[in-house]
Amino acid sequence: MSGTTTSPDKVPAVEVEIDGHKVEVPEGTTLLAAARKAGVRIPTLCSHPAVEPYGACRVCITEIEVRGRKRLVTACNYPVREPLKAFTESDETRQQRRGVLSLMLARWPNVPAVRVLAEKHGAKPPAYRHPLRNEATDACILCGLCVRACSEMAWEDIIAFAGRGAGRRVMMPFGEPSERCTGCGTCAYICPTGAIKVHDEQNRPVDPARIRKYGFRLTQEMTLLDDQQCQMRRVGTAHLVEIMDAYDLLPTHNYKFGKHPDTPKIASHVWKTFVRQNVPDGCWAGCQMSCAKAVEDFVPRTGPYQGQKVLVDGPEYETVAGCGSNIGVFDPHDILEINFYCDTYGIDTISFGTATAFAMECFEAGILDTEKTGGLELRFGNGTAALELLHQMSRGEGFGVIVGQGVAEMKRIFAEKFGGDPAFLRDIGMEVKGLEYSEYVSKESLAQQGGYAMALKGPQHDEAWLIFMDMVNKQLPTFEKKAEALHYFPMWRTWFGLMGLCKLPWNDVEPEDNAKYPEPNKVPGHVEGYINFWAGMTGQEVTIDDIIRMSERVYNFQRVFNLRMGKGTREWDRGPYRAMGPVTVEEYESRAERYDKQLRELVGYDPAGKSTPEKLAALRKYREEQYEGLLDAVYKRRGWTRNGIPTIETLRNLGIDYPWVVEVVRPWLEKEGAA
Amino acid sequence: MSPAITVNDEPHPWREGMTVADVLRERNFVFPLLVVSVDGVHVSRDAYGTTPVPPGAVVVVTHLVSGG
Ligand code: FES
Repeated sequence: MSGTTTSPDKVPAVEVEIDGHKVEVPEGTTLLAAARKAGVRIPTLCSHPAVEPYGACRVCITEIEVRGRKRLVTACNYPVREPLKAFTESDETRQQRRGVLSLMLARWPNVPAVRVLAEKHGAKPPAYRHPLRNEATDACILCGLCVRACSEMAWEDIIAFAGRGAGRRVMMPFGEPSERCTGCGTCAYICPTGAIKVHDEQNRPVDPARIRKYGFRLTQEMTLLDDQQCQMRRVGTAHLVEIMDAYDLLPTHNYKFGKHPDTPKIASHVWKTFVRQNVPDGCWAGCQMSCAKAVEDFVPRTGPYQGQKVLVDGPEYETVAGCGSNIGVFDPHDILEINFYCDTYGIDTISFGTATAFAMECFEAGILDTEKTGGLELRFGNGTAALELLHQMSRGEGFGVIVGQGVAEMKRIFAEKFGGDPAFLRDIGMEVKGLEYSEYVSKESLAQQGGYAMALKGPQHDEAWLIFMDMVNKQLPTFEKKAEALHYFPMWRTWFGLMGLCKLPWNDVEPEDNAKYPEPNKVPGHVEGYINFWAGMTGQEVTIDDIIRMSERVYNFQRVFNLRMGKGTREWDRGPYRAMGPVTVEEYESRAERYDKQLRELVGYDPAGKSTPEKLAALRKYREEQYEGLLDAVYKRRGWTRNGIPTIETLRNLGIDYPWVVEVVRPWLEKEGAA
Repeated sequence: MSPAITVNDEPHPWREGMTVADVLRERNFVFPLLVVSVDGVHVSRDAYGTTPVPPGAVVVVTHLVSGG
C-alpha cells in the first residue's frame, strides 16, 4: 500500500483495498462509501445516503485489517483514517452477518426487508423463541432512519427513541400526536418496513404513495444538494444578490446599472449573520425548501416601533435589490427596516423599491426638489429619506401620498404638475400596465424584455426568467426560439398558480442528474414529479403537453380579461426604454465598450467619431425594432393577432370560445380585419 | 494569432494547462447551477479543476434558473 497522499483539494487521500480492489478516498470517508467506490456492495439496513450513519442494525458488519491487525467494524459508520484492507465475504464477515440477521429474523420473522436479506445471506431463524417476537409484516425494526430523517432532512425533532432495552420504541413526545408534525411524510417514506403510515384525510389523494415518492425525492435533494447549490435553507433567495451583481443584472439606481462596488455589504454572507439558522423556516410548516427566513430581535431606528425588538420576515432577494441597491442603499439595517415596515403597513417591497428609485432619479435629475418633496432629500443612498417616505405613505401624508400611487401615476403627476419631460419620465419609469418592475436588469436580454413587458399582470418575472438562457447561454438566438421560450415558460409557470403550488421547488434545487437531459433548463426530473403529483392527486394520467394546455386555456382567458380592462393590446406589451437599453449618456458611457461593439457587429453602425447621443439613438432604434420583431414572433406562437388579440380559432382550439369571451375579442379582431 | 476557445458562442483566449475551472473563473461564471460541456462531453462539478480545455475547444456553460 502506498499510504496517505494529499489530493489537490487538501483533504488527504487514503488508499484502501476492498476484496482486492484498490481505491483512494478522502480521509474520513466511511468504509461503506469506499466500498461503493470500489464497486463492492456491502448489505445495509439502517443506512441511507441522506442521513448520518447510526450503526443500529449491524448488518453491514465487515472484517478489516489495519496495520496487520484484524477486527470487525460496521462499515456504514466506520471512517477510513489510514490504509486498510476490508474483506466483505471472508468467513468471519459472513458468519457474523448471518448471526445478526438470524437474531433479527427471530424478533421480526415476517418483515420483508429482513427476510429478503436473511435469505440472501443464508441466515436461518434460531431454534429458540425470541421473547419480543413480533409477527407483523410492517413491524418497526428500530433502525432509527425515521428519527434521523425527521431531524436531518426535515430539520425537526418530532419523533425520537424512547425507553430502553425491550421497551425501546419510536414515538412523539409523551406518546401524544405533536402539533408540530405536519405530516410531511419523510419518516414514512424512509421507513424500510412500512411501520409508519401517513393518512391524508383532508386532500384524499388517489395515490398518496405516488406523491410521496416524488416529495421524498425533493426532500432528499434539499438535504444532500442545497448547501452546494442555492443554499435556500441557509439564506433563501438572497443568495442571488452577489450573483446578479457578477452578471451585471442587479438593479442599482433605478436600473441604470447592473452592479455596484458596495454589493458585498448586502451579499448573502451578510444575511447569513442576520437570519435565524438551522431551523425549518418555510412559508408553511413542513416545506422542505424552508427559504422564508426571519431576523429576530431587530430594533428599528425610526417609526412607531422605534427602539423595540421586532421580527423581520425576510429579506428576500427582491427586497434586498429593490429596497437596497436599486435605491442606492447598501446598509443591511436600513434594508431590514424598510422590509419590516413594508410588511407592517401592507406595502409590497418590490413596488416600494421601484417607485422610490424612480422618485430618487427624478430628484437627482432636477424634476423634483425639497420644496416639492416636503423637505425629503430623495437622493440615491438616503435610507433615512426612504424610511420617512414609507412612514408618510402609511399615514397618507406629504410626498408619500404621491409616491404611494406608484410609478404610472407619478409619471403623470411629475409631467403635469412639476414640468418633467414626459418622454424622459416614460423612459425611466419602470412600470408596465400600472405595475412596477421586479428587480432584474433586462437590458441585455431581448427575451426577458418580452418576459417582463408581455406578462399579463405587469412586469413580474414569475412568468418567465430567461436572462441566462438568452444573454449568457446564447440558447435563444432567433426570434422563433425566444418566442418558443416565451410560450413554454409562461405556460409552465402559470400551472403552479393554477395548482396553488410554489414554484421554487421546481428550480431552486436541481436533481443531481439534471445535466444528462437535453433541456436541463426545464428541469425534466422535476417536471416528471409534477406530472406524477397531478396523477397521484386526481388519478388522471397526463403529459407535459396536457399541463401546458391547462395553462394555455387560463392564460388566454386572462388575456381576454386584460383586453376587457383596456390593457390587452400590443401597446400595453411595450416596456420603458430603461428596460431595453441605456437611456442616459451616463449609462451608455459606463458600458461604452459593450455598446460600441454591438453597434459595430449587430447594427452595422461605425461608432468611431460619433457623439454619445448619436450612438444612443442608433442603438435605441435597433433595439426597439428588435422588440417589435419579438412581439410579432411571440404573438404568432401564441395564436394571437399582430395586435396581441387571441383569434377565434385559438379560443376554439382551447375550448374557451364561449359567447361572452368571443364578444370581447370580436370588435378588436374586426378592427384588424381578422374576424 | 494566439489559439482561442469558444465559450457560449464567444471567442475566449486559451492558454497552456487551462482547465474548466479556469474558464469559469475568467468568465466570472459564479452561478451555482451550471451544466458544463467541453467538445460535447459533459463535465461534472467535481471535475472542473482537473478537466483540461484543449485549444480550439467548444465550451458550453449552460446556466439554469433559480429564484421565483
Ligand atoms: S447499515 Fe450499518 S449498522 Fe445498519
